[in-house]
Amino acid sequence: MEGLFFNIHSGYVEGIVRGYRNSLLTSSNYSNLTQCETLEDLKLQLTPSYGEQLANVASPFPTSTIAAKATEKLVQDFRYLRAQATGALAKFMDFLTYSYMIDNVALLITGTLHERDTKDLLERCHPLGFFEGLPALCVASNIEELYSIVLVETPLAPFFKDNLRSADLDELNIEIVRNTLYKSYLEAFHEFCTTDPELSGTASAELMSDILGFEADRRAINITLNSFGTELSKSDRKKLYPEMGKLHPEGTLMLSRADDPEAVRLAIEIVGEYRSFFDQGGIGQGGGGIGGGTQKSLEDVFYQKEMELAKGTFTHHFTFAVVYAWLKLQEQEIRNITWIAECIAQNQKDRIGNYISVF
Amino acid sequence: MSGAGNREAVFPTRQSLGIMKAKLKGAETGHSLLKRKSEALTKRFREITRRIDEAKRKMGRVMQIAAFSLAEVTYATGGQIGYQVQESVKAARFRIRSKQENVSGVQLPAFESYITEENNDFGLTGLGRGGQQVQKCRDVYGKAVETLVELASLQTAFVILDDVIKIVNRRVAAIEHVIIPRTENTIKYINSELDELDREEFYRLKKVKNNKKKALDEADAERAKLKEQEGEEGEQLTITGSDEPADILADEEEKDVIF
Repeated sequence: MEGLFFNIHSGYVEGIVRGYRNSLLTSSNYSNLTQCETLEDLKLQLTPSYGEQLANVASPFPTSTIAAKATEKLVQDFRYLRAQATGALAKFMDFLTYSYMIDNVALLITGTLHERDTKDLLERCHPLGFFEGLPALCVASNIEELYSIVLVETPLAPFFKDNLRSADLDELNIEIVRNTLYKSYLEAFHEFCTTDPELSGTASAELMSDILGFEADRRAINITLNSFGTELSKSDRKKLYPEMGKLHPEGTLMLSRADDPEAVRLAIEIVGEYRSFFDQGGIGQGGGGIGGGTQKSLEDVFYQKEMELAKGTFTHHFTFAVVYAWLKLQEQEIRNITWIAECIAQNQKDRIGNYISVF
Repeated sequence: MSGAGNREAVFPTRQSLGIMKAKLKGAETGHSLLKRKSEALTKRFREITRRIDEAKRKMGRVMQIAAFSLAEVTYATGGQIGYQVQESVKAARFRIRSKQENVSGVQLPAFESYITEENNDFGLTGLGRGGQQVQKCRDVYGKAVETLVELASLQTAFVILDDVIKIVNRRVAAIEHVIIPRTENTIKYINSELDELDREEFYRLKKVKNNKKKALDEADAERAKLKEQEGEEGEQLTITGSDEPADILADEEEKDVIF
């Protein structure tokens, strides 16, 4: 039934997204990219996808330029979609931008805490997370002011309101603030997808529930692994785990008690899908060591899994999840291109195959 | 060397000869000491040069790896973490101790790096994702900075040693080619002057002796003459008194016989 009226509002956007998806780089494109000897060649190879953005780049350019230009394209496409979206899809897409907003706000909080000129920071903000109220945050000169402005001006207010007090911004490490917000964001997004009248019971709810659940689990595992050897206490750590996903609640409880990577492995073994992750990815030695060749880090395995989920989303019709999937795929593509560009620029050809290509 | 002209302005006396000899001895001792110092320094210098070469090569490799690990971080975190890392750092984790090393009397500063493990200001960076890469990148850059510190201490030592070796070599050359020849010349000069004085003295003494002898001889001759005269008179007396016929031809001026 849900397919019947879907196209009235969101059919155009879905069509566009599927078009974008088809213009993503494929494995053969990537293998052409890896053959490049110089960044100049790389630029030439990227012309079909990013020609418009890269055309005016002067010849000796750093790898960051490529990433910046590719992001520009992503933002441009996203804004177009957002302008076309109505109703629940518009809200859905707003939710997508919140995660970038969290990063931007965290950046500005850092700047305010250290009494830097926050105006310079606006340039560093991710354009997707840019909203009207963001420049207003720069006005704040102290933490209380900033906190109230965040509550009033930003769409992030619900995440702040329930989890953080103004004093927390000062006392807590900014990473903890960021992860608290992100946890709250994930939960809110999940709730939106499963309970919104337009979305509940549709394929969108089902798919997004899977994807967000995976995202939540990934964050929980990463937070656990990365907090070993830091001052983050176990109880504080537990507060950062999103209360959703396949690991919740038994897995997260075990994660919260974990002291070493081995305990993490035990915790996630209760979920069949994740069991193989630790075997594939060398844990604790992220990146597989220098010059470690083909071994993948856990991070890579997660990215791979995320991309597979995103790819799977496109097999469904009449769903908003494709927008999310496209955004993630496009982001991964930018990361891949940056990685390949870095490998070429730094002459590290043996690791160049470390990108993740799904199509 | 330009011989006689190149000497110190001293009076050629025995005392200054003594002084000069002491000076020459001092210069020779100094020369051999400085020469040895220069050799020790040069040895050290070569070693440092070799180690600089090694360190520079190592630095090349390490920096490459470090830059690449930063690329890994960018890939894993999917964004810029530079600002966040900069802002969350409060105290230095990587510190340097400076100490002095003594090489043949030259003070070389040596930098020693150490890591304060408890300082982990951005340990939570990338907590959500990429944290391990961030920590790894930090360690790799720590190693890179370590290499840089090593290189810096070697380079400082290199510059200082270079200066010192130049000064020492200049001193060695100066002693060898200027001071020693000049002192030797001075000694030679003093010796020759003293010899000349000796000779003069000797000659003078000889002359005096001669003169004295001459005077003595003259005095003798005078006396002898006087004596002779006296004797002649006496002889005459004797002759007059003797029977022997007088040579009548011999003495024209014989006294007129007064009859």
